[in-house]
Amino acid sequence: MEEEQYQTKQTPITNETLDSITQSKHEAMLSRLSNLHQSRLLQQSLTRNSSDSNSSFESTKSFLTNFSESKTSIESQLHLCRNPDSSKPTLKSDLNNISTSITDLERFVAENSYFLPSYEVRASLKTISDLKETLEIANSELLPKKKFSFKNKSVVKKEMSNAEPVVRVCDSVVAEKHSVQVRDSLGFRNEEGVVLVKHFGGAKEGDFTLSDLNGCEVRITGCFRALYIHRLKDCRVFVGPVLGSILIEEVEGCLFVLASHQIRIHHAKGTDFYLRVRSRPIVEDCNGVRFAPYVLDYEGIERDLKESSLDEETGNWENVDDFKWLRAVQSPNWSILPEEERVSGVNISSSEALSIDC
Amino acid sequence: MGLLSIIRKIKKKEKEMRILMVGLDNSGKTTIVLRINGEDTSVISPTLGFNIKTISYQKYTLNIWDVGGQRTIRSYWRNYFEQTDGLIWVVDSSDVRRLDDCKMELDNLLKEERLSGASLLILANKQDIQGALTPKEIAEVLNLDSMDRTRHWKIVGCSAYTGDGLLDGFDWLVQDIASRIYVLD
Repeated sequence: MEEEQYQTKQTPITNETLDSITQSKHEAMLSRLSNLHQSRLLQQSLTRNSSDSNSSFESTKSFLTNFSESKTSIESQLHLCRNPDSSKPTLKSDLNNISTSITDLERFVAENSYFLPSYEVRASLKTISDLKETLEIANSELLPKKKFSFKNKSVVKKEMSNAEPVVRVCDSVVAEKHSVQVRDSLGFRNEEGVVLVKHFGGAKEGDFTLSDLNGCEVRITGCFRALYIHRLKDCRVFVGPVLGSILIEEVEGCLFVLASHQIRIHHAKGTDFYLRVRSRPIVEDCNGVRFAPYVLDYEGIERDLKESSLDEETGNWENVDDFKWLRAVQSPNWSILPEEERVSGVNISSSEALSIDC
Repeated sequence: MGLLSIIRKIKKKEKEMRILMVGLDNSGKTTIVLRINGEDTSVISPTLGFNIKTISYQKYTLNIWDVGGQRTIRSYWRNYFEQTDGLIWVVDSSDVRRLDDCKMELDNLLKEERLSGASLLILANKQDIQGALTPKEIAEVLNLDSMDRTRHWKIVGCSAYTGDGLLDGFDWLVQDIASRIYVLD
């Protein structure tokens, strides 16, 4: 096929009526094609030298011989696996080997497809997909399917090593739900009616989680990378700049003061958000949520905000997108907090007492 | 002239790849696309709908469909399945709590017949965040080893924030797709 294209393109060159620009384009194309052809020939001679029997000779006949040999060998292997006398322990690796051989055969067809008649390519591809199907059937019949299931892991509580002057230190809890043991991130979990304080000192620390808190007050100062909030009720949460994103799910009757690059709010009810955010915050499955600008203050917050590129008020706190309300008119699920109802400033500099100016 | 332009068109078409990028919300899909294209990643809003990005990668043209991952719009993912050469599944490696969700959505996706031939690249994103799970741990939780043997897949740790690992992942994906695509006509 390559040869044919090559010749067809030589004809217009001899036509003298062509203007010089077209001619030079033709020449460029021609040289490119001939380069391609040369490199292919070169590659072929290389593969011919490196391997003997399996190399392609640009001949349909030798391709077909090789192809049918591989096909027969795969079929006989498959047949062996289906034989009930075959030993069980090697069955899985046998089937794996067959799968590899089919992939190899597929690659072989791919490598040679450029010179084969299209009928042969299609026929070979059909054969390969048939082989794959047979293998799949063999797999499902011979190997019992492994089922994914969750197992309960015992909960291990561990005190955090670098204890800060905090009201309650944060826990590191091993996740319960996964069958594979995965460590959980730093965070405050399962607390009721307490004040929780955390300070991030170093530059841009990791992520932090707040989950299952009831009637708590959370104060986090310093920069960190990501915040995950899950299942909070009647809490007040004050957070310094978050360099990455904040994800909030299932909160009710809370007050949040947050600064971040991205904020996503899911399943929130009757909650006020005071935000500084570089992009548009989004809500999904929320109702009765209200928004106002960021009001947090603590010693050194200017520096932290600047470090996280959150020092500038973008006005995005009111550009809320509601994924449950994709229309031009204002969503009924959220509103702007009237100015007279907003708190005017929150200072969390001292961990002893919280001052809120109303 | 007619013949030449037809040949050029075919040549151009051959080198195009359609890549579908999905994953839970907050996993960093849009940031990855912008980072790999060398664009500003400092202001990215959660994707409402989808973005299409055409980028030249090695000698190929990649059409990347970056589809939003919020729960409400996940049901629209199926509108983008047709003709997909490569599938990129992005995981937030520091979001341990939602890994079950992540596994469930990925399993549903892989049952889809229209995606059965697509190479699968799993990007374990946010590796730069302290405490993020490693690609190996993610692979275990997602039970990737039990995947259909005919599927070409690979998991790569990356950080859209620093750019680490992105090229490794895309290199593999593009090579894998290129080795599968046949010149039929």
